Amino acid sequence: MKVWRWFLAATLVLGLAQAQVVLRALMEDVPETHIIQKLLPDFEKKTGIKVEFEIVQYGAMHDKLVSQLLAPESAYDFLEVDFLWAGEFPAAGWLEPLEPYIQRSGFDLSPYLPSMLDLVGYYNGRLYMIPMYNYAMGLIYRTDLLKDPELKARYRERFGRELTVPTTLEEYVQISLFMKQSAGVAGAAMQGQRGDPNFMEFSNYLFGAGGDYADARWNVTLDSPEGKKALSLYVKNIREAAQKGALNANLDDTYRVMCQGGAWSMITYWWMLPQLDDPEKCPKVAGKVKLAVMPGGHGVNGGWGWAIPKNSTHKEEAWKFIQWVESPEIVKKRALMGHAPTRRDALTDPDVLAKYPYYAEVLNILEGAKKVPIFAYTAEMEDVVGREISLAATGQKSVDQALKDAAQGLYRLFKKAGLVK
Amino acid sequence: MTVRVRVGVAFATPAVLVLAGVVAFPLLYALLLSFSSYTFLKPTLTPFVGLAHYLEAFRDPYFLNSVRLTALYAAITVCLSLAVGLGIAVLLFQPAPGRAFFYAVISIPMLIAPVGVALLWKMILHPELGIVTYLLERAGLTAPDFFGDPHYALFTLSLVDTWQQVSFVTLVLLAGLRSLPREPLEAALVDGASFPQRFFYVTLPLLRPVIGVVLILQTIAELRTYDLVYVLTRGGPGAATDLLAYFIYRKAFLGLDLGGASALAYLLLLFTLVLVVFFYRRIYREA
Repeated sequence: MKVWRWFLAATLVLGLAQAQVVLRALMEDVPETHIIQKLLPDFEKKTGIKVEFEIVQYGAMHDKLVSQLLAPESAYDFLEVDFLWAGEFPAAGWLEPLEPYIQRSGFDLSPYLPSMLDLVGYYNGRLYMIPMYNYAMGLIYRTDLLKDPELKARYRERFGRELTVPTTLEEYVQISLFMKQSAGVAGAAMQGQRGDPNFMEFSNYLFGAGGDYADARWNVTLDSPEGKKALSLYVKNIREAAQKGALNANLDDTYRVMCQGGAWSMITYWWMLPQLDDPEKCPKVAGKVKLAVMPGGHGVNGGWGWAIPKNSTHKEEAWKFIQWVESPEIVKKRALMGHAPTRRDALTDPDVLAKYPYYAEVLNILEGAKKVPIFAYTAEMEDVVGREISLAATGQKSVDQALKDAAQGLYRLFKKAGLVK
Repeated sequence: MTVRVRVGVAFATPAVLVLAGVVAFPLLYALLLSFSSYTFLKPTLTPFVGLAHYLEAFRDPYFLNSVRLTALYAAITVCLSLAVGLGIAVLLFQPAPGRAFFYAVISIPMLIAPVGVALLWKMILHPELGIVTYLLERAGLTAPDFFGDPHYALFTLSLVDTWQQVSFVTLVLLAGLRSLPREPLEAALVDGASFPQRFFYVTLPLLRPVIGVVLILQTIAELRTYDLVYVLTRGGPGAATDLLAYFIYRKAFLGLDLGGASALAYLLLLFTLVLVVFFYRRIYREA
């Protein structure tokens, strides 16, 4: 009899264990993932649903996700989606529209910043993602050089105005050139490597100059006078004021240059500020760096969103997870642990601001941030436009020719995506 | 069919089936894809587009640029690694103390993953932090921007690759040297031939088949170079290091165009086959 009892008990335990839903997700190996991972026991306690993260480097994510999204059943029940794929995934029909879930659960979208919802929320008027993380771009600059009396005097003498934080793109490039000539440092640590690095960097110049890649109807506007101004100033800055090797530099390279005090400024993701301001990591510049909105008022918006794949076998449970992780309580906890918020309530929370005062400036950056075109071929667009920017920067093409070719490439991609005829 | 033939067929069938599954099927499927409009966004083979992907490739100036660069890159890297590898192999072939140590040292680059090699050289040649830049500047010279200047980038990339490939070339050629018959060399020595005469008129002709193998293997490897470009330059600056394998990768995974990428991959396969057949005929037929 005893053996039978044990057998029954074991079967019951195994049955229960199998009945427990386990949600799986592919996550990037960044501190933010580990922050959420630390909070997971709370979700498991509240819902009885277990969550498992497969954590990989960014470079491996896209291919892994695509192969799962193409399969009849996805190994991942919810996804974190970079804004660069926020056009491709819904366009391919891989994501579950979230409006029905929102309506059923009464989930409140109003605290989310409109720029974030525009970036990693809506695609063609339908909601496919809930914003989870922002990495908008702005200007990081050295305050010690801006305050230096000798540099201030020389700048005033030469340009007839004060050396202050630039508010226009022309001013920024002018100060950058001045610093290169007068301060013994590069004016800007620039990431000119072809592809994502130079595309993202240049996009700030484009938005800062008042330009854009396309209008609301996907007509290409890159080769406008604003586009020409942006590319001319970009080429001037990278050739005359940037650090040595800028034409093949990536984000890591620019961080190293800035960290070692080798440059006055960099146009980069705002999260770079706490890295540079850390006395253990960057003793040469810690306490001397500040964040500002991209000169011209608009920088590039960046972010990640939560989504549910259409071929997930646990869609309702996945939505429960998203509701939990984006609840005000957990969002605040995440923010206090260092996870970049996408909601206004978290960015303006007194406790969060007391710990991270620069979030006030991050909010300003997000208010003015613009997105690069998000569509099925955003990744290819980075490559095509990045190549032309690089050709102009190396002097292999004129600014006019590079802009013309980039605009043609962009048009071909919009056409391939069925956005224009 | 005789019993002998039937037994032969029975024994060969499993191997043929495995080969058909792992070699023939992917190759044929890729060929089929190359004639189709298959993309990651619309993963269906229809409508078939015939030779459209192939014709489009030859109309694309950046693809033609990639072909030209890949040919140049392979020529530089294969020639350099053969020349340097042969030199080192000849040196190591001479009786000298401590040869085992040099064997070990020369094998190290071959044991490092290409991504590791790329990262290593990225730091060595770094324009601000690299030791080469530092030493050149200490010597009063202006260090070139190795990867950032379109005039130097491809050549620098091929030097980095050569550094790694020399290990393999040296070891294979050294094995070749050791397997050569001693009689012709001894006869030449008795006849009073100098070292260069023995090398150019005896050793090198005898080594020709081994050099042929190395040449073919290295050419195949160089035409497929991808990892160094990915880590070091991403095809830039401009399009200065946009090698074919990296171009094909982007077509598939950035352009999401598996049909187009398959066509380009077939073109690469075709170029490689033409070169391999050419080398084979020149080296083995003439020998």
